[in-house]
Amino acid sequence: MSNSKHPVMGKVRQAWMRHWQGRPPSAGLLTAAFFGAAIMIIPVVYVVSLAAEAGPGAWSRLFTTRVPTLWWNTFALTISVTAASVTIGGLLAFLTLRTDLPGRGLFRWLLAVPLAVPPYIGALAYILVFGPRGLWFQWLGSAPVDIYGFVGAFWVLTLFTYPYTYLITSAALRRLNQNFEEAGLSCGVPYWKVLLTVTLKLLRPSLGAGAVLTALYVLSDFGAIAMLRYNTFTRAIYYQMTGRFDQSAAAVLSLLLMVVTVLVLTVERFTRAQQAFRQDSGTYRKPQLIKLGHLRWPSLVFLGLILFSAVLLPIAVLLYWTVLGWNQGTVDARFWQFAWNSFSSAAAAALLCVLLALPLTYLKSRYPSRSTAALLRIAYGGYALPGVIVALGIMIVYDRFLPVFYGSLSMLILALTVRFLPQSMQSQDAALELVSPRLDEAARSMGQTPLGVLYRVIFPAILPGAAAGGALAFVSALKELPAALLLRPAGFDTLSVRIWMESVEGFYAYAAPAALLLIAVSMLPLRLILNRY
Amino acid sequence: MAISLQHVTKTYSSANGPAVDGLSLDIPQGHITTLLGPSGCGKTTTLRLIAGFERPEQGSIAIAGRTMADNQRWVPPEKRGIGMVFQDYALFPHLNVERNTGFGLKGPDLKKKVQSTLDLVGLGNYLKAMPHELSGGQQQRVALARALIRDPLVILFDEPFSNLDTDLREQMRQEVVDILQRAHATAVFVTHDQREALAISDQIVVMKDGRIQQQGSPREIYQYPETAFVASFVGQSNLLPGTMGTDGYVMTALGPIPCHHTHGRETGEPVTLSIRPDSFEMDPDGELEGTILRTVYTGEAIDALVTLGQGSTACNIWVHIHPEEQVRTGTVLRFTVLPHFVAVIRGDA
Repeated sequence: MSNSKHPVMGKVRQAWMRHWQGRPPSAGLLTAAFFGAAIMIIPVVYVVSLAAEAGPGAWSRLFTTRVPTLWWNTFALTISVTAASVTIGGLLAFLTLRTDLPGRGLFRWLLAVPLAVPPYIGALAYILVFGPRGLWFQWLGSAPVDIYGFVGAFWVLTLFTYPYTYLITSAALRRLNQNFEEAGLSCGVPYWKVLLTVTLKLLRPSLGAGAVLTALYVLSDFGAIAMLRYNTFTRAIYYQMTGRFDQSAAAVLSLLLMVVTVLVLTVERFTRAQQAFRQDSGTYRKPQLIKLGHLRWPSLVFLGLILFSAVLLPIAVLLYWTVLGWNQGTVDARFWQFAWNSFSSAAAAALLCVLLALPLTYLKSRYPSRSTAALLRIAYGGYALPGVIVALGIMIVYDRFLPVFYGSLSMLILALTVRFLPQSMQSQDAALELVSPRLDEAARSMGQTPLGVLYRVIFPAILPGAAAGGALAFVSALKELPAALLLRPAGFDTLSVRIWMESVEGFYAYAAPAALLLIAVSMLPLRLILNRY
Repeated sequence: MAISLQHVTKTYSSANGPAVDGLSLDIPQGHITTLLGPSGCGKTTTLRLIAGFERPEQGSIAIAGRTMADNQRWVPPEKRGIGMVFQDYALFPHLNVERNTGFGLKGPDLKKKVQSTLDLVGLGNYLKAMPHELSGGQQQRVALARALIRDPLVILFDEPFSNLDTDLREQMRQEVVDILQRAHATAVFVTHDQREALAISDQIVVMKDGRIQQQGSPREIYQYPETAFVASFVGQSNLLPGTMGTDGYVMTALGPIPCHHTHGRETGEPVTLSIRPDSFEMDPDGELEGTILRTVYTGEAIDALVTLGQGSTACNIWVHIHPEEQVRTGTVLRFTVLPHFVAVIRGDA
């Protein structure tokens, strides 16, 4: 009918229907999804525009003074940490899954524990031991190494990022089709050579994925690097914002850091497309374990060293200082107020994440189209965004459009939501994938409206997945440091903020209990993370 | 003998019985042997034992006269001189066709050798293609080339055709057999598809519960099954109790049935008879009369379930009827029994 009355509208309508393959989503759903994606991209847009507004003077001043060093420092740290972390993670995965290493069942689990330790807390632990006034100095009278600078940052970031590669490679090794190795053997090639020419090559995509995650983490980390006083982009952006109150210089540096991040993501995409290997899944067979023989003791020592450095030492040191603090009465009402601030802001952000993720993931699973893909790409793109840049973007947006709310708690909650929305989307996505669209159709055929389907069928079915995604976002938000430092309202200190401030001031008896509490809470959803791989 | 297995036993720790139970088997040079049986019968384990991917607890395995596995000796798979074609082909996904085929080989004439082997399987123009760019049949051919290139003593095939759709399967079967014959290769296939086994084999070994049920040419297996299991697993069969009569007849509830394959049973001994549905021929003057209970039209024939005999001696028998005949449920027909597909079954568990 409308076709005959409004020929142009008819054309538009036709194109719209074609775009959604005859089944367009409701306006409400589309608006909600649009809103979610907008929240993700608006801060980035304003960081970019502020950088563009900075005059050529600001750019050239930064480029002649700061950028070359920052560039080199960031580059050196990212490359070296990624290389070390991937090597260690891959080796550990292989040792615990494919060799007759004693105690491998226990190690498999223990080796994932560093994932629960935020690197800035790891950095704190190492400062407590090897710092100028650390335990080593107290007992032996001199510090063995200078923990500040490249060496410390390299060591701490490597220790707390290897689990990425370790978990991804472990999962790949478990799924690896044994037939490839057997085919290699049946070609008359000895086993060690098959491992190098076949197995290692087949693991390349997962090692690559681990490398990308590690590199993105190193590029975005602020806490560990700043505590260990190594100068990279994130630290420089932070000091431009807090020390010099120069948002426009911060925006320029942010833009440069984003370019590097996009570069890493592009390299990843490119290599992933090149290595689009399919592994036709054969019937699963348990692989034969390699006998380590005389390599058994060196392997055990290596494993023990990693576990000692990444789990035992940090937790023991923090326990020691916590006991000291407890006796001095540092765990007082103020401490619990900080804890409450952390928990309430993280919970609000996690809830917001779950709610914003729902329309986006639902749109993706039920209404595939080009615009759906674009919205999803925007929403997921935020996962690589460093916290300092998100904070800067939120500051600019509030400054320009919501000056009344500038300095309110909403800034922090919004920043945490932007940071961790992709995490909760991932979990919901996976859960929704298991709910067949036939279920929707069945409910519709029994008289349910689309909204009724969403609330009576979809949401109950994906509730566990959505809750898991919320839990992950909650824990991440709890640990987040730079956004909390930059955006918290006056007087609203969180645990992560306290850890940072007390460490900077050297009040370790105040910092350690907060750090230990954060680690303990982060351990809880570790199972969720392990299940994902 | 190309391959000889003596009293080989293999038990998996998770299973309650041995997967292969005291198996002895000789596989002749230059022939195609097929291990046939239902899933869990031990056929794949037997293949993997020959390849060296599993170790036997007992018994010995020799390839081309060389002992590969026994109490003292163990030759790893890469030193056995075998070639293997996997069910999923297991082509290395990161290597192209040329490098897959030449995997693990060195030498100045490698390129020539790869080329000639790929020519043999009809893929001479696909050297640079990656596995995922090939069709199922082409992947299969690369897998075959990779197995052939080292002139192996024997090529092992683990359900090689089961990933192909029906048309391609029959075509590839024929091609693979042709290539193997041209290469004068010794081959061992594993399959659960009896039609495939009958089509490609020089020798069939029917297995059940880790033991050999019967071993022989496709014709022997089909015409003269020795156990009730073989009779029903390879093709359809009617099993009928009876007593040995004289002059090559077996006395049954349906009357005397002619049988030339009696394992030298004495007159008067109780026996079980296997009669293939093909043994019944429609004949207006036939001695058997029956009523059709049900028909299944397969295109090549009409499978009919027929009640023969009356009262307490009545029994239901599957019969093949020429597809041109017009028969329906309730039609009364007369049959004669031809002796070619009738066999006395040896004692069977």
